[in-house]
Amino acid sequence: MKAPFSNYLDSLVPGLRKLIEILEQDFDYVSVLSTDSKGLAVRISQHSKSVGNQTMTTERGTVVRVYKDGLYSEYAMDRFDPEDPEGAAEQIRKTLAAQIEVLKNTDAAVFETEKLSDEPLELLVEKETGQLPEEAELSSLVEQLAAISDKGMSMSEYMLDCIANAQSTHICKLFLTKNRFLRQSYVYSEGNVAAILGRDGQNRFGYAGIAGLEGPEMFEKLSEKLDYAVSSGLEMLDADRIVPGEYEIITTPEVSGLIAHEAFGHGVEMDMFVKGRALGAEYIDKRVGSDLVTMHEGALCAENVASYVFDDEGTLAGDVTEIDKGILKTGICDALSALRLGTQPTGNGKRENFEHKVYTRMTNTIFDSGKDSLEDMIASVKYGYLLEGMQSGMEDPKHWGIQCILQMGREIKDGKLTGRVVSPVIMTGYVPDLLGNITMASTGREVFGNGGCGKGHKEWVKVSDGGPYLKTVGRLG
Amino acid sequence: MEKYIEILKSCGADAWEIQDTKTRGWEFYFIGHRLDQNRAKDVEHINLKVYKLSEDGQSLGIASAEVSPTDNEETIRKTAENLVYQASLVKNKPYQLNQPEEAKLQEAEIKPLAMEAESFIKTMLGIEETGTEYLNSFEIFVNQNEQRLITSEGIDITQSYPTSMLDLVVNARKEEHEIELYRLYHLGSCEPEQIKRDVEELLQFGKDRLLAVSTPQLEHTPVLLSTDAALSVYEYFLSNLDAAYLLRGMSSYEIGKPIAEDIQGDRITIRSARTLPGSPCNFAYDEEGAVIRDEVLMEESVPKKFVGSRKFSQYLGLEDSFMVSNWCVSGGRKSADELRTGKFLEIVEFSDFQVDSMTGDIFGEIRLAYYHDGEGNVTPVSGGSVSGSMLDNIAHLQMSGETRRYANAEIPSVTRLENVVIAG
Repeated sequence: MKAPFSNYLDSLVPGLRKLIEILEQDFDYVSVLSTDSKGLAVRISQHSKSVGNQTMTTERGTVVRVYKDGLYSEYAMDRFDPEDPEGAAEQIRKTLAAQIEVLKNTDAAVFETEKLSDEPLELLVEKETGQLPEEAELSSLVEQLAAISDKGMSMSEYMLDCIANAQSTHICKLFLTKNRFLRQSYVYSEGNVAAILGRDGQNRFGYAGIAGLEGPEMFEKLSEKLDYAVSSGLEMLDADRIVPGEYEIITTPEVSGLIAHEAFGHGVEMDMFVKGRALGAEYIDKRVGSDLVTMHEGALCAENVASYVFDDEGTLAGDVTEIDKGILKTGICDALSALRLGTQPTGNGKRENFEHKVYTRMTNTIFDSGKDSLEDMIASVKYGYLLEGMQSGMEDPKHWGIQCILQMGREIKDGKLTGRVVSPVIMTGYVPDLLGNITMASTGREVFGNGGCGKGHKEWVKVSDGGPYLKTVGRLG
Repeated sequence: MEKYIEILKSCGADAWEIQDTKTRGWEFYFIGHRLDQNRAKDVEHINLKVYKLSEDGQSLGIASAEVSPTDNEETIRKTAENLVYQASLVKNKPYQLNQPEEAKLQEAEIKPLAMEAESFIKTMLGIEETGTEYLNSFEIFVNQNEQRLITSEGIDITQSYPTSMLDLVVNARKEEHEIELYRLYHLGSCEPEQIKRDVEELLQFGKDRLLAVSTPQLEHTPVLLSTDAALSVYEYFLSNLDAAYLLRGMSSYEIGKPIAEDIQGDRITIRSARTLPGSPCNFAYDEEGAVIRDEVLMEESVPKKFVGSRKFSQYLGLEDSFMVSNWCVSGGRKSADELRTGKFLEIVEFSDFQVDSMTGDIFGEIRLAYYHDGEGNVTPVSGGSVSGSMLDNIAHLQMSGETRRYANAEIPSVTRLENVVIAG
């Protein structure tokens, strides 16, 4: 079935068109983004069970962007009355005028920017889905998650709790200007199993998830993740601490994705170029990785949780080759940063939700696959680790430092996995070194969409990332 | 609000809650000293929660939904009825919801948004910069919030409070070499003098980072934390005092029993505080309507009181429990200067310092630290990481007598960890 576009948003269109018409009497550019995204969230553990309709991306509201005298301003609201666009326009004008008064009082100058273009375009895309979260039959889903939690508890005497989560969101967004009328509707879902284990005062947790551009029907596959969640948690209970040092490493596709995201995801967000915050600006057409490194970014380069049709500024989604055979080719860009840099936007202008500002943000960030087999890659390692399980990452675009916190490393000695596990593992280093030392990449690749991404320590959005197994050299601690 | 109450009363729920949060906010985004964008918002979030007992009274279902202020009565009624059905699907052990209790607290002064915003902008534009250390960009968020909680048990409380946030990036440059440092401050209202002090300290860190050399392989050198990174260390203890951690078996803390044997370092005292000057979290009630109390949670490394959400607190039989808003950790026996003796690494900037509250694992990539070799030489260093486990550090933890506030927490201004590994 097609995910139907929101009737509520359609009902706003005449009022929003009128609002734009009124505001254009005072401003040189006006756009509106209205959202109506519904969801479901079920969380079952041994001690707490709940059902709700809120996910990270559920929202309903409207944000108006206006432009005058080189300055962009926005007003976000969630009570727009299509019968009273005049009232909304008056409130917007009054509030923004009061803000300008504050700026005058503080002698703050404006970072002047050109006016956005408004090329005519009309679009309605309703993507395929199996089910809608707002219509899903929850009874069987609750039972299924409860069965996962119960089975998980029976798998080890060290299990403290087993949490099964399922979330699904039906995204509906409307972008409107004088000349553009864009509507999109799609459903994405994500689920995970977390096995919490404890022994002798030491706690560990194993984790596995699924995510995709699918409806709640996807959760039928969640039980397949239970074995890994529990077994990896048990392995971590028995794990040793790693001896800090530089090692040959092989990254699993999930860890490769984390590197892609942290290394040349954040590092080439071009709103950072505007602020002079990214070293990447100085490395366009220069080598930043080995010949085996080709990396794509864009809502079109995979079908996963961040695969939209247009971004939150009404720019159509793209597929950007950021790194081509080790050479940095370009970054990703929101519309206002593109104006400031004299380039084209890439469809990466995203908001946490309608209440938040647009920044340049990642969507799907993925390394291309190579020609090696995982067996050959392991066989090539004299002494090192196969790294798996992502916990978190952080980057320093100004310095190209990277920090990845990983669940475990599997020891490789003389080309063979020894069965010894170290946990946890912190991988740090200098991005061009990490990518420059990639000497092998496996065939095939996987994409993971269970994570969220912040800008600094806020502005959380959904992203996916991935790649093949990669062999490189890394500093582990 | 009356329509929500009427609908929830008649939808078949055994109990219900409405949480209504209204926020008016102004935002200003600067690149250098120039305004990149200004924004305003006026939003309301209405959350409904219903509870449904099973027919035999042996289980309690819980379901919640956010409804839009634009939803009509028919949609709200349908949502409420759906919630009752959804709640019937999930089976929790029954527990008693919070009951009404009178609690008075002097509410924070809420200044007009324009006045608050102007104060922030003037403060930031007035920061003393140099030709080599300067503001790269900053973002100012000022909000007026009103939160009302109404429950079927008779609770009806409204709390109004200001919140603000400052997101800041500073640069330091030496010839062609430029670095940046990042901070995110959470505040109640603008505190010009505090902000100036913090930013000036940050600019100095930036200057020193330019001089930094690669962190050597220091392995078991003691680490000192003297910035907000240390919050994670104390949040680990706070998590272990939480009812949810205890119920799940993730915390082994027991009332009256020391949290570690043979403690040679400072003993830890943590208390909950209803008010903390400058905190954005000075509330009389928690989000479930429980009265927040001034309580000693841990004294001299001995747990005194467990706290947490109503459900988990009831499951553990905890009386007068609540979710902590502000918290304070008492200072240790030595001064900050006394802790800064011998060979040690004082880390002031991490990529992202973390103490995993469940496992106790410690991680962080070092962006700037000062290596003291014990012979009077101090070297700024950068790169490498620190790792370890809280389990190996509790008995040897040392804290300065001086304390410092970060948002809703007051902690020792210097924390010394003896058993971590530094990978250069």
